Amino acid sequence: MTRILDPTLRAVPPRAAVRAPRPARLDGAALGLLANGKTHGMAFLERVAEHFSARHGAREIVRVTKANASAPVRPEDAALLAKRCAAVVTAIGD
Amino acid sequence: MLAGGPWRADEVLLHEPVRDRSVTAWHAAINAVMAGCRPEYFPVVGAALTAVGDPEFKLHGPATSTGGAALMVIVNGPVRESIGLHAGGNLFGPGVRANATIGRALRLVLLNCLDCRAGVLDQSTQGWAGKYSLCFAEHEAASPWEPLHVARGFRAGQSTVTVFAAESGHNVLVHAAREPETLLVAFADAMAALGSLSPGRSVIVLAPEHARYLGLAGWSRARTQAWLYEHARRPLAELKRAGKVEAQFLVSEEMRRWLYGNAAGPAADTANAHARVLPGDETVAVHRGLGPDDILLCVGGGDAGGHSAFFPSWSRGRSVPFVTKEIPL
Repeated sequence: MTRILDPTLRAVPPRAAVRAPRPARLDGAALGLLANGKTHGMAFLERVAEHFSARHGAREIVRVTKANASAPVRPEDAALLAKRCAAVVTAIGD
Repeated sequence: MLAGGPWRADEVLLHEPVRDRSVTAWHAAINAVMAGCRPEYFPVVGAALTAVGDPEFKLHGPATSTGGAALMVIVNGPVRESIGLHAGGNLFGPGVRANATIGRALRLVLLNCLDCRAGVLDQSTQGWAGKYSLCFAEHEAASPWEPLHVARGFRAGQSTVTVFAAESGHNVLVHAAREPETLLVAFADAMAALGSLSPGRSVIVLAPEHARYLGLAGWSRARTQAWLYEHARRPLAELKRAGKVEAQFLVSEEMRRWLYGNAAGPAADTANAHARVLPGDETVAVHRGLGPDDILLCVGGGDAGGHSAFFPSWSRGRSVPFVTKEIPL
């Protein structure tokens, strides 16, 4: 008898993650910038922040650059962004 | 296949944290079957997955980057003979099932389980043939030194995998040199080629003939590493003329350390300093890597021929470290 097995993880459900509630409004919100660690990620995000501030008047901008583009964001940085920011924008820039 | 290794089917061999994907022994075994592995190869496959899954290896980068790295697997210890893993002639080429299929199993795990497919998560600009499979044994009997895994802190009786994120290799052909200071010139020259010069690591696979000359001259592993590090260098001015110094290098502490060592280098606000040859740049020596330990030496290949190989690490930066793990047998 031939048995067919799936070599992929498509049938493996991803781990459940709780999404933060979507903020009702962004006016005056604290905005997080999470650059992935490539060379120009933060430069790109600064422009995003300029547009955001012009449109919504950001109360605070919190900047985090990952130490290594290949690694996940550090837990303490993720906690900081979650605590202080209503929304976070992330980007790669090479 | 599962019975060939010590792991339970649901045991996680590799967790990729950026995408939160876990590869169990079950999925590794399916891919090993697809690759053509025999069950007795599975401990090597599992150990290699564990090694590339080490957090220090940061697999996400070499698995997805435009650099297109292969996952090199160097095997040491008794398992080489028990499964017929080849260390001799044509060791990077076709013809031996264990070499061909263990590396292929790793690549199939990346393709099937981590979505590292071209145009999806694998964004290699070109990639290279080593991405099909790049697994070989060290020719320990032909080495003038202790086996690689012993140099890395394991016992000779243990079997290990050492993994490396490798760009395409460069043949180092030398047939008319026996003295180390002559023989190694071509190695240092290949390592300092502008195409791949970086602060990253290097793997040198010495042909038995070249290894023998180093041994006959009494050169140790450490002395050979130190000589290669010292001589694999270019003047900073040449890097600038070739467009190898990017503007952002001069604002990165790590890259400044690579370019200038302990010297101060230009002030951060020096206009166009990355591209303009400044006074002193002709005498600033930029080495491959950050020190002798960034050069991994091992031995492999046929008895005849002065053909060794140099493999630069993936990426224009520091890249990822060598990781060695014991193969559970």
